[in-house]
Amino acid sequence: MAQQLAMVIDATKCIDCKGCVAACKVANNVPEGQWRNWIKQDEGTPTPGVLPTAKTRFQPGACMHCENPTCVDACPTGATYKDKETGAVIINDALCIGCGNCIPACPYNARFRNAVKRKADKCNYCPERRAHGLLPACVDTCPTKARVFGDINDPESEAGRLFRKNKAKLVQVAAKTDTKPNMYYIGDPGLQDWAGEAVIPASMIAMKESAPFIKGIVGLSGLGVLAMLSRQLFVSSDENKENDDA
Amino acid sequence: MPNQMYKRHDRSDIFIHWFNAACWILLLLTGVGLIQHSAIDPFGSGYPEALRAMVGGGGNLLTIHEGIGLLWILGFVFYLIVNFKGAKFFLSEVFPVSPERDVPWLFKKMALMTIGPKVLKDPTLPDQGYYNMGQKVFAQASVVGGIVIAVTGIIMWLSDRSLGAEAVGIVSWSIFLHFIGVGLVFAGLLVHIYMAAISPEERPGFMSMFTGVVPGDYAKHHHRLWWEKIKTENK
Repeated sequence: MAQQLAMVIDATKCIDCKGCVAACKVANNVPEGQWRNWIKQDEGTPTPGVLPTAKTRFQPGACMHCENPTCVDACPTGATYKDKETGAVIINDALCIGCGNCIPACPYNARFRNAVKRKADKCNYCPERRAHGLLPACVDTCPTKARVFGDINDPESEAGRLFRKNKAKLVQVAAKTDTKPNMYYIGDPGLQDWAGEAVIPASMIAMKESAPFIKGIVGLSGLGVLAMLSRQLFVSSDENKENDDA
Repeated sequence: MPNQMYKRHDRSDIFIHWFNAACWILLLLTGVGLIQHSAIDPFGSGYPEALRAMVGGGGNLLTIHEGIGLLWILGFVFYLIVNFKGAKFFLSEVFPVSPERDVPWLFKKMALMTIGPKVLKDPTLPDQGYYNMGQKVFAQASVVGGIVIAVTGIIMWLSDRSLGAEAVGIVSWSIFLHFIGVGLVFAGLLVHIYMAAISPEERPGFMSMFTGVVPGDYAKHHHRLWWEKIKTENK
């Protein structure tokens, strides 16, 4: 079975320290004012001096490397793709021109246009760190080990073990578009319905819809050429001569 | 009377024609490889995969496509500097359409070349000028399409170089227009290549794209209005 890199997160362990957010920014050189990951909470920001009425629940998140990635469908060039080997959703920086199609196509708002690189950006599970045998920066830095990363198809990995053990009670964020996210929460992650709808830009829809017409017009033109060619080759030259002299 | 030769194309015209032809073929082949989406892929997903593997990745293919595209635009700038008069003449011959002469010519010619003269009551074609209506249609499509393709190409090229996040809508619509423009021009290009290079009728016209001149009998038969004009001028 191919890999499926994923995060299995015990939301109850999260203390909202934002260590993962800071570590990610540093590791990936994310520009000021932009973030690849987040911690959401369901009780608003606590006000100093006011006792919270209920227990605040924290929900660490980022790109969910979905099974059904709508962002990939919004990309005309394949610069964003789901890697067959690891199951991660990857951005090929060299091929991406920053057209922005994929950004509204993510119902979790996990994507942004990097203000410095001017290309799509999001969590990529820190491939540079993994190449050196390290965990993604957010996972590595998490003091309570709320974030667990690994191949959920590998029962030997910690993520796989947690995934299997908790299969019945795993929670995913429910978006209006079901993208089958590979971000699983153990324990109550609080808000589960904050995600929106995948919006494919009208320009991309126009391109998809017009493709069959363009192919049809090119096909018709090709048929016309074939008709002319077969007349040239098979109709007696006498008739052609007549036509020529006309 | 010997078959006098008439000048039809300047050396710069011949250069830009073949320069454009070479660029378009390379741009088409590399550009189609840059599209990878199951709902769009003109030749299926195997083509972009194979082409990208050949040049060492999609990023390299994009760089090659952008490089040829910029060279193509520079080639046209160079042509306009060298022969602006020629370009102006070309546009003035290509865009005006005579409804009583050109429109029937186009439909009759299409019927004649695909089905045959029997399908028409009167297979006589109205006289044509410097360009016939078929050439005009393709030239108009090439000029308009070429401008759209060049402008949208530059917008896409600038996207990750200098454009900000607020421009993504323009960039994304540019991708669409670039695709549509190339598709429509390519449909015309198939007919253009057949008429010029494969059909025996236009052989002297094809040769003139190398030599710059056409024989008088060809000019008289194919571009009578032009022939009548230059016949008197050349005497």
